[in-house]
Amino acid sequence: MIGPVLLIALPFLGAFLLPLVYQHYLRAAYWAAPMVVITNLIIALALWFGVSMVGPQSLLMGGFAAPLGITYYIDHLALLFIILLLAGSLSLWLGAWHRRLQEEMLTLLLIGSGTGMALSGDLFNIYVFFEIMAVASYGLTASRRHCGQSFAASLRFLIVGALGSSMLLLGIALIYALTGTLNLSHLAVLAPELLHGTTGLAAFAFMLIGLGVKAELFAVNTWVPEVYAHAPIRVIALLGGFVSKLAMLIIVRLLLLLYAGSDAYLILLGFGALGLLTAEFAALHATDLRRILAYSSMGQLGLIAIAFSIPGEAGLIAGVALAAHHAVAKPALFLLIENWGGHWQKLSGAVKVAPLASVIFLIMTLSLIGVPPLPGFWAKLLLFQAGLTAGGIFNWAIVLIVLTTLIETAYWLRINRQLFQSENNQPPVNIPPDRELWPAALLLVLLLLISLNIGTISDELTQMAYHANDTETYIKHTLPMWQTGE
Amino acid sequence: MKARHISSLLFLLGLGLLLISIFQNLPYSNNLTGIGANINAQAPQQVGTANIVTSVILAYRGLDTLGELLILFTASIAAGMVLAYNPDELTDSVLGKQQQQPAGFILQTAADLLMPFLLITGMYIILHGHITPGGGFQGGAILAAAFFIPLLTLPGKRMDYQLGSLLEALAGISFISIGLIALFWKGQFLAPLGEPGVPGALLSAGSLPLLYLATGIKVGAELANLLARLRDA
Repeated sequence: MIGPVLLIALPFLGAFLLPLVYQHYLRAAYWAAPMVVITNLIIALALWFGVSMVGPQSLLMGGFAAPLGITYYIDHLALLFIILLLAGSLSLWLGAWHRRLQEEMLTLLLIGSGTGMALSGDLFNIYVFFEIMAVASYGLTASRRHCGQSFAASLRFLIVGALGSSMLLLGIALIYALTGTLNLSHLAVLAPELLHGTTGLAAFAFMLIGLGVKAELFAVNTWVPEVYAHAPIRVIALLGGFVSKLAMLIIVRLLLLLYAGSDAYLILLGFGALGLLTAEFAALHATDLRRILAYSSMGQLGLIAIAFSIPGEAGLIAGVALAAHHAVAKPALFLLIENWGGHWQKLSGAVKVAPLASVIFLIMTLSLIGVPPLPGFWAKLLLFQAGLTAGGIFNWAIVLIVLTTLIETAYWLRINRQLFQSENNQPPVNIPPDRELWPAALLLVLLLLISLNIGTISDELTQMAYHANDTETYIKHTLPMWQTGE
Repeated sequence: MKARHISSLLFLLGLGLLLISIFQNLPYSNNLTGIGANINAQAPQQVGTANIVTSVILAYRGLDTLGELLILFTASIAAGMVLAYNPDELTDSVLGKQQQQPAGFILQTAADLLMPFLLITGMYIILHGHITPGGGFQGGAILAAAFFIPLLTLPGKRMDYQLGSLLEALAGISFISIGLIALFWKGQFLAPLGEPGVPGALLSAGSLPLLYLATGIKVGAELANLLARLRDA
């Protein structure tokens, strides 16, 4: 199994080599980082088809068996998020020539660590990669030149992030003190006996707060509006679109492997519901377009958290569908507003100067609200079905989701009406240059393709959720001493 | 005191009480899985290190160490990027002329004398990391000090960032390359290569001393560059 190792090693090697390439072959250097990402994308797609044929696979890092060494587990759930990350960062490279060396290096480090985190089957290894990802994102959010506000926002992000990282480490330490192991499959075996008590749930809450900084969960997402208002737009698209989903993936893994059958889902449900409610009200109240997008992003991640908290495969399917949909729709919106910052009322009549951008904006927002033939509708429908089937407290969650969808509809349609209003003959907005529109247009095509193939995709999703929920296969693959029946 | 301060204080108190009540319930003494005992028993034969900690850092959890190196690398790039915006403006306006003066004869000579000793100590700690306490991270920090102390005595002098970056990149590349060689040779990324040898001998533990050497050089170059950047900014 060389593929998964290369997925991690190549971006890191690239990050080390890039300064040398920049010094000697500047012309080649601009292509070096995208080439690494393209290679990784090919490897990831090959792994995807490999997993489709022979099922999930595992490998031992360093050649030591599970409880002693670090194991990696390759399945469709992890690969989907990796492919989203790779394809997303590649699309963000389009139309952005001549980036600085440090930005390219940090992006490569972000990609490598995100991949490692998604595949890793060891809690401390996940923490290490999470930390690389965190430090790289602090750097990237501060990469805008001569902008004091962007530095201030990034410093705030750093402080919240450092608090979150220490909480995550504390949670991992608690788990180690309770069980004496860090390996996820070993923990999955021990969890029902040792981790489902109060202390174990407290450890989950700590880890949730730590991971929640990146997953934009309630209470630790205060950095989001500030950073999204001032940081470079491509960085925001990367963070909000893809990195937040990777953190969510780790939360799902923990919930499935360690806390299946315990009350942990209630904690996630609570954080998700509070996040959804507060963020959507804040979005209704906000006036700056970038901040509206930031709050909407926090709300969507709250929605994803609610979906993942529903026990069973139905919740998993809904969560993955919502996450993938948000990863396509939100980066496109961010890219469109690169030149449209400021108050949303400034956009009145924008359709006259920028018709394509306005149409993309309309379709993406309609999909976020959940208007029928678009993929956002199917994702929300899945969530409704899962919630109503689970019943109990989830009925209330569905009521909350309906309410917040109304709020979402209100503020998105308000902006769209401004966009397509024709009273104003000289709209005060800038026209986004064509090359800046490429990535957004590409994402629109992807969204429409998804809505055409909704049947096939839902079959794939059902398959994926079945395998992800199959804890026994995970343990069998990664814990050799379990196979011998010890 | 404002309401904000009081609420922060209350939050801290609450968090503290929560943590105390959690820690009181922790079973500190029992060894549930026997992983530690296993490593203690196996490491000298399996990996060949007299220092058991090294066997965990470089063999059993080598990938984590690569990750730690990368955190430091990422932090140094990010800090370098933020600090390198306007070095000239800042040094003129903030530092002023007085601090640019050399530190004087005694400090300069002492710093020059210290450098070779620090270099030798650092290299010794790095190269003996598998048999005595110490290793790449600790030795690397001493190497960084060896280069940074002379700079402190000559505030006007600029550090050669190019050399540091080159060493940093080469050390990082060699760490991953050793891992990749193991992948193609033994089938697993970062698996220890070579014979474990006699625990306690200088030439033992296969490829682990090489990994520690790469770690040490990387940490040294990175810290020296980072400290110099902070000084110049």
